[in-house]
Amino acid sequence: MRRIAILIAAFVFFPLSVEARPVSYPEGWTVMLRNDSNQNSAHIHYTVDMCHSLGLRVRYDREGDFVFTGMQVNRLIKRWNKPDSQANIYGRFGLGYVSDDWEASEPRLERSGDAAMFLGASADWETRRYFISGAAEYWDNGRFGDISAYHGRIGIAPYVANTGALHTWFMLEGHHRPESKNKSRASAILRFFKGPALVEVGIDEQGEPLLNYIHRF
Amino acid sequence: MKLLSSFMIAAALCFAPTASLAKDKKMEGPEVVEIADISVGLSGLVCDFCSIALNKTFKKRDEVRGTYVDLDTKTLSVALNTGADLTNDEIITLVKKAGYSTTKIKRKDGREFIPASDT
Repeated sequence: MRRIAILIAAFVFFPLSVEARPVSYPEGWTVMLRNDSNQNSAHIHYTVDMCHSLGLRVRYDREGDFVFTGMQVNRLIKRWNKPDSQANIYGRFGLGYVSDDWEASEPRLERSGDAAMFLGASADWETRRYFISGAAEYWDNGRFGDISAYHGRIGIAPYVANTGALHTWFMLEGHHRPESKNKSRASAILRFFKGPALVEVGIDEQGEPLLNYIHRF
Repeated sequence: MKLLSSFMIAAALCFAPTASLAKDKKMEGPEVVEIADISVGLSGLVCDFCSIALNKTFKKRDEVRGTYVDLDTKTLSVALNTGADLTNDEIITLVKKAGYSTTKIKRKDGREFIPASDT
């Protein structure tokens, strides 16, 4: 209950975002890959209508050494369209199964799975020059324990590119995972964006790389 | 002979273009702006994902020959197939379906429509 309260508080006070724009246009498919010091995650979703998308999520928790496999529902709660900016609030929910990493090099005494769920909220505000986003997530991973995670990001585009050109962004992202050994981390990120593809490369203060990819179909 | 001529007439009818199905060659890219029948002013346009959403949403319509979104001018240009049309309400609905708002609709003949509120 305390975790839920923290999540709600984070949602209210921090406009965060892990997965930018988890709802696309109706009947559109999106692939989102995220790899950083905390996770290797893949999410493929289909946008049902302008407010909802439904998809599959596979996430390997690097610290916990377990894999979540399940379905994820994303909801665009509110969008503000302004002449030079857009702001969004998203909610998301996932339900699935967690199990030990079957590729783990260390032999385990016990290998088994458990039901799992997660709940998240994110928000973003962006112009063609500036970007602010963030997210809060709470994961109930069954016997693998609970995780709460908070991310915030700011970005600036060194130049403003028109349709179809290469868009470039410099970004800083802060991570906070209260249950983690390294509770807080920060990453410097370069975002390249052209047409339907978005690539992010980065590095955190401990030298851990970050590689994200989004493709809209 | 009668059977053969019936078959040839049927085949000719199958392959003959009809007015209701006639579609002009599809177009995309900035050249759409040159021949656009409708120019739609937009708000909320900030990136290429926005362009893709609008292009894909409009191109699903049979009336649409081609579209192009210009992020600099915040404008969606729509080229229609010969004889086809989209009403203002249809345009506003399609823009909303893609996730954006219409600020102005301007037609090739000079007619302009400005929605009452940010729709």
